[in-house]
Amino acid sequence: MSSTAAATLNHHHDPTTSTGIANKKLLMWAFLASDCMFFGCLISTHLIYRLHPPPGTPPAREVFSIELTSFSTFILLMSSLMMALAVNAIQKGNLKSLRWSLLTTIFFGCIFLGCQVYEFRNFVFEKHLTITNSILGTTFFTLTGTHGLHVLIGVIWLSGMLLYSFTGRLTEKDSIDVESMGLYWHFVDIVWIVIFTAVYLLEYI
Amino acid sequence: MSAIAPAAPAHAHPLEQSKFWIFVQIAMLLAVITGLELVTVYLPFMKWLLVSALVILSTVKFMFVIFYFMHLRWDKAFCTILFFIGLILAGGTMWALLKLFGAEASKPLPVTALEPPAAVMRVA
Repeated sequence: MSSTAAATLNHHHDPTTSTGIANKKLLMWAFLASDCMFFGCLISTHLIYRLHPPPGTPPAREVFSIELTSFSTFILLMSSLMMALAVNAIQKGNLKSLRWSLLTTIFFGCIFLGCQVYEFRNFVFEKHLTITNSILGTTFFTLTGTHGLHVLIGVIWLSGMLLYSFTGRLTEKDSIDVESMGLYWHFVDIVWIVIFTAVYLLEYI
Repeated sequence: MSAIAPAAPAHAHPLEQSKFWIFVQIAMLLAVITGLELVTVYLPFMKWLLVSALVILSTVKFMFVIFYFMHLRWDKAFCTILFFIGLILAGGTMWALLKLFGAEASKPLPVTALEPPAAVMRVA
């Protein structure tokens, strides 16, 4: 057996960089750290206005649907599982498993987006909560809309990677590309974990 | 691009093979914690206790995702440090803003208090 064939890839150490971390991964972590601050400000804004709601603000508890949001949360958690399995699959060079995992992640991402569109439509047309008619609407739609935009970007990225996997150019050596995409997707999930608690669940206490 | 490390047989990495089950178990745990959060909001306890419970539960979920799904547990410590710099800055900003605007003096004035007195209006 040749030395190349017997070699195995170490996905947690890159000797070609001074940090031992692949540059793409380092870039993604730096971006996610900055995105933390972005979402931190949006969540703070929402919570601040919830501290002192102006007169006429509709009670959020009557507007929100905890059942739908819990379902969305569950779906996003499961999509994170499928994304982790996709990264695991490409690190083992298993393209078939990668494709199925990516497809399932995209499917779950689309369900989440569908739930969000349904929720927004319900708020606007049934509950008469729009982005301009109250501060609750402004902060809520800005925060959850920005998160939804992140999910949409993730779904597009995942779809691109799925199509790219059929070209035959995606191999185990390129697993860092899938891993970076996975980091982004998991970040979208952890942001939702915070939003679910801070924006939705706190209203029910 | 991932680096090629010295040769090692496949059975030398039991962790790589067991990661699948680790991920599945963690996903199930996360789903259970989400269920617990839902139950928590309907419990007849004091508000501070419920808020603390929710914060702890969501922090546990957050940590499981970043350390297992995002591989921080197996990656270089620098990745953890880099991400936590952003997280601490964001958390600090949130804490400061909530403290500032949560203060009694930050309460918005009622509309009547903002209207000028009638005498001042007559002079003007």
